[in-house]
Amino acid sequence: MKKLTIILSITIFLIFQPRAHAGVPLDTIQAHINHVLDVLRDPVLKGESATKSKKEKIGSIAADMFDFNGLSKRTLGKNWSKFNKEQRIEFTDLYRAILEKAYMGRIMEYTDEKIVFDKETILSKNKAEVQSRIITKSVEIPIYYRMILKNGEWQVYDIIIEGISMTRNYRSQFKEILAKKSHEELLKIMREKLGKA
Amino acid sequence: MNIFKIFVSIVSVIIFFSIGLAHKPAYPSFPEAALNCPVISPAQKRSACPSFPEAAVDTYSYQNQKRPALTAHETPLDTAEITEDVDNDLDYANDDMDEEVFTEDVDNDLDYLDDDFDEEIVEVPDPLAKFNRGMYHFNDKLYFWALKPTAQVYRVVVPEPMRVSVRNFFTNLGFPIRFVNCLLQANIDGAGTEISRFTVNSTFGLAGLFDPATRHCNITKQDEDFGQTLGVYGLREGIFINWPVLGPSTLRDSVGMIGDYFLNPISYVQPTEASLGINAGKKVNNTSLRIGDYEALKDAAIDPYISIRDAYIQHRQRKVKEKPSPSLSN
Repeated sequence: MKKLTIILSITIFLIFQPRAHAGVPLDTIQAHINHVLDVLRDPVLKGESATKSKKEKIGSIAADMFDFNGLSKRTLGKNWSKFNKEQRIEFTDLYRAILEKAYMGRIMEYTDEKIVFDKETILSKNKAEVQSRIITKSVEIPIYYRMILKNGEWQVYDIIIEGISMTRNYRSQFKEILAKKSHEELLKIMREKLGKA
Repeated sequence: MNIFKIFVSIVSVIIFFSIGLAHKPAYPSFPEAALNCPVISPAQKRSACPSFPEAAVDTYSYQNQKRPALTAHETPLDTAEITEDVDNDLDYANDDMDEEVFTEDVDNDLDYLDDDFDEEIVEVPDPLAKFNRGMYHFNDKLYFWALKPTAQVYRVVVPEPMRVSVRNFFTNLGFPIRFVNCLLQANIDGAGTEISRFTVNSTFGLAGLFDPATRHCNITKQDEDFGQTLGVYGLREGIFINWPVLGPSTLRDSVGMIGDYFLNPISYVQPTEASLGINAGKKVNNTSLRIGDYEALKDAAIDPYISIRDAYIQHRQRKVKEKPSPSLSN
């Protein structure tokens, strides 16, 4: 009887594992991050000249990892519907470039900090949160990824660093700027920020 | 006499470690978190843990062994159980509207308008925006012209482990603030945790220079202050205030700062100049460990003032809402 129970439970475990396992948020994000770390640690890509190709490689990983359309919509909130088609496309491009510029520098500073993935929480049927920590010699920084299931892929729509949601932080900025300025002016500010005036 | 002293300290260190290592580490409140944690035998723990005080300085490898990332086998179980938990607790009424098909012309999916984080964080009015912005520029200059250069020189002179120790020392000194506010919030668990931390770190942590409580016993800091206590009792932030030197705050948190001032031992150092000096030293030390953070936040922002204000508000509201950390009772 005992043996039967054990065999039965193992069978059940094996049956249910692959289904629950396929593409779960934590595995997805961990794979992306490991991919980034591989690029950063690549011994072939040492020195100044390799920095550019490193950035390009990381940029393409980011393209898979993030849902930039969703990110843009969420940061603009109600204002998204007031942007016309061209403005939306330009906004998405500019916002993506700003994020890339802002975070690429920090990513390139990576040395040997440990990245630990703690747990994932399913928020709703297509949303999840993955909790991770970056551990340096002097600090431990909690980083949570909010993810959404889109076309069968889990993609990041918000990063919460030390309890501060990046999307919400940008949203508060866009909201206040758009309260006083036009959409065109906002796009101009963003272009200037990127040195593309 | 000296030999006796050394003997006593060696014995007490051994006793401390056996207590610390035998202690069941506190894990997140999800019961299934236990699954993430492979059982480490006491012998393994001991071998992973070098002797004191090196252990106090460098124990990251040890910490990581206690809480490794999920392995493939553990994930499915966790997911299944957490899903159930969350679905029962929270009502995500908008789930059905979440079908995210992005069409450029028609925006049928409006789920991004009322996202989860909007419910968590409430905006705080900023009627003093003009003054606050002025103070933002003042503090910005203060950072780049005074604080950062000082911290950079200090960083070159003082090695990192020593700076971490100085930070630990000041953190330990802030015990009365955390302890009293835990009590005021009726968080008896938290107050007990703080007492344990203070006792362990003041003795075995060599007057707070090391943090064996976190490293070895997994007794984590209960980061409570009077501003949070007022928040727990339902007092809202009022308005946003950006103080010169002290930085971002709100009306409520400013009142909180006054309360905390009286609980901070450094406030009682005489003369006042010495007390100010100590606070400045603390600031320089802590800044030296986080150079680059402010710059990164500022660079990433489109309007740095709004970004910093929002970051402060988010940070504080989450702190008020967050459940007491798992403590000894786990």
